[in-house]
Amino acid sequence: MSASKTDSVISLRDVSKRYVKYDDQPMLVNALRFRARSRRSTLLAVDNMNLDIAAGESVGVLGRNGAGKSTLLQLLCGVTAPSSGVVAVRGKVAPLISVGVGFHPELTGRENVYVNGTILGMSSAEIDRRLDSIIDFAEVEDFIDTPVKFYSSGMFVRLGFSVAVAADPDVLLVDEVLAVGDFAFQLKCFTRMQEIRAQGTTIVVVSHNINVIRGFCDRALVMSHGQKVFDGPTFEAISEFYSVVGREAKEDLQGAGDLAAHDAVIESLTLHNAAGGEPTLHFDSGDEVALRLRVRATTDIANPVMGMTITAETGTVVYSDTNLMNPFDPLSTDETAEYEMRLALSLPSGGYYATASFHSAEGGSSVLLGRAVPVTFYVSGRSLASGVADLGGTFHRAGS
Amino acid sequence: MLRELWAARRLLVILARKDFYVRYRRTVLGVVWAVGVPLVQAVVLAIVFTHVVGIGRSFASSQREYAVFLYSALVPWNYIANAGPAASTAIVDNVALAGKIYFPRALPVLVTAASAVYPFSIGIVLLLVMSLVVGSGIGVSFLLVIPGAALTVLFVVSVGLCLSALHVYFRDIRYIVMAVLSVGFYLTPIIYPLGKLQHSHHVLRDLLAIGPGSGPIEIFRAATVGSDSALGLAVAACAGWCVVLGSVGFWLQCRRDRVFVDLL
Repeated sequence: MSASKTDSVISLRDVSKRYVKYDDQPMLVNALRFRARSRRSTLLAVDNMNLDIAAGESVGVLGRNGAGKSTLLQLLCGVTAPSSGVVAVRGKVAPLISVGVGFHPELTGRENVYVNGTILGMSSAEIDRRLDSIIDFAEVEDFIDTPVKFYSSGMFVRLGFSVAVAADPDVLLVDEVLAVGDFAFQLKCFTRMQEIRAQGTTIVVVSHNINVIRGFCDRALVMSHGQKVFDGPTFEAISEFYSVVGREAKEDLQGAGDLAAHDAVIESLTLHNAAGGEPTLHFDSGDEVALRLRVRATTDIANPVMGMTITAETGTVVYSDTNLMNPFDPLSTDETAEYEMRLALSLPSGGYYATASFHSAEGGSSVLLGRAVPVTFYVSGRSLASGVADLGGTFHRAGS
Repeated sequence: MLRELWAARRLLVILARKDFYVRYRRTVLGVVWAVGVPLVQAVVLAIVFTHVVGIGRSFASSQREYAVFLYSALVPWNYIANAGPAASTAIVDNVALAGKIYFPRALPVLVTAASAVYPFSIGIVLLLVMSLVVGSGIGVSFLLVIPGAALTVLFVVSVGLCLSALHVYFRDIRYIVMAVLSVGFYLTPIIYPLGKLQHSHHVLRDLLAIGPGSGPIEIFRAATVGSDSALGLAVAACAGWCVVLGSVGFWLQCRRDRVFVDLL
């Protein structure tokens, strides 16, 4: 996993980055008066981090917004210095961050290739040599002598990516760029990145797109509040990331699910493999899953009923159901019970929320007794299946 | 720091060229404007100060001579007035690039100073033509424009290194520079010769000569219309400014290089 110090290309030792935030703009007048600036707050963007990345590794960085991912990349490409600790990166670093950032709208594609290429550390001769392949890869042959302000956003990004990967760096830092362009170009970028990786280039990818990291990295870090909370195989890291997301979401929502006015206390909502075992937040598509709701009644409940909803991260309700017409056995005061819904998770890759509610059925309608805080879980699906549900299609030549 | 700047020298040239081309890209006359604007300025000033105000005649033997006298000062002054403010805000102005990739933060300062060298050299060529056609010809002394231009660029770089670092912390710098320049136009011997003040206001003359803009202008005058008695003092003073501002600026850049970006 972690490489020894000697052959690591990237190494971080006890690295912290602290930002000082001034609530008021520093003014020359105040500085001349030697007046201490009153309102300032510090923000620990990266907190005592240690990291070793060996040559040729491709490492993903997962984390919610504000977890310190971008600051980590800034430290790696030397844009900013750590407040304490040592950052060492060997070789030529090319950041693939917000591609085309040095592009000037009035300059032509060709001129921008030269400017951007030089910024990325290529010599004029190298750019001359690679110009054709850069243009070819970006698919902008007909527009290369047009000012880039007339480019579509897709062309702009394609050219930027094309220049960045042509720079042939030792370390490539990737920040959310693969989320751009049309699907065909994304695939092309992906293939190109695989080639770069095969050449032994070290790659660090920061992305919200779990699929990019899963398809690309053998190893991933999970960051939370500036700290590295997990470092290991991508598959486990993704599960850990979703559990961090789940935990932090619960912290955020604490109290919201505690509807004390009702006649039942929701003690927990957990997800298990139907085969049994500890609660988990990571499943494979098609797994038999038990969504388990633990409830304590504060009064007698004649017809207890549960409702369960699974919502995709996009907000689409994937599945919602209740046993309203078929209630559980009566529950007496202070009795605790566990109910579960079993189902096969035939879902494509992605993050989902499970929400559960507890009711008492009266005739055809129901009275809400309690609602559980949503639980986030992750499904690792079949590689190319996507959509709301994985209906498990198979492919055949008809008639054979 | 010096090593990093040296490593980035090709980037400096490419960015400076880009800056220059971009400036005139959408104009019909293009680079002609780099010559046209100061030319118009020189003609207007010559007319105003000879015909309207009438002091031009007392400074130079003829109106044409005064035009050369004016333009020889405007060439270095325009460089200072164009590149100076841009260099002073260069670090903040380059935030988009600076946040994404590392290069010495002093580089944009040098880029702005370098890109303005193109119109500066066109101005010098124009000055040469003007001296030959309008003025009383030139001699070997015209070669003095080379050290004159070098001193001008050095001064702008020194100021830029110093102020661009301070500007990251105090955004007031942008406006202070603009204010100083508009006052400086009159405190610098552009429309009048320092030598004329020699008898009546000895102290005033020396004070004005110490102003950092005087050095380059006096060298340009020496190259074209003849040297002024304040030449030595003015050049020495400007060199002094360069050493002081340049070393403070360089020290600031070395110390704060990697933390500027946190404040942008």
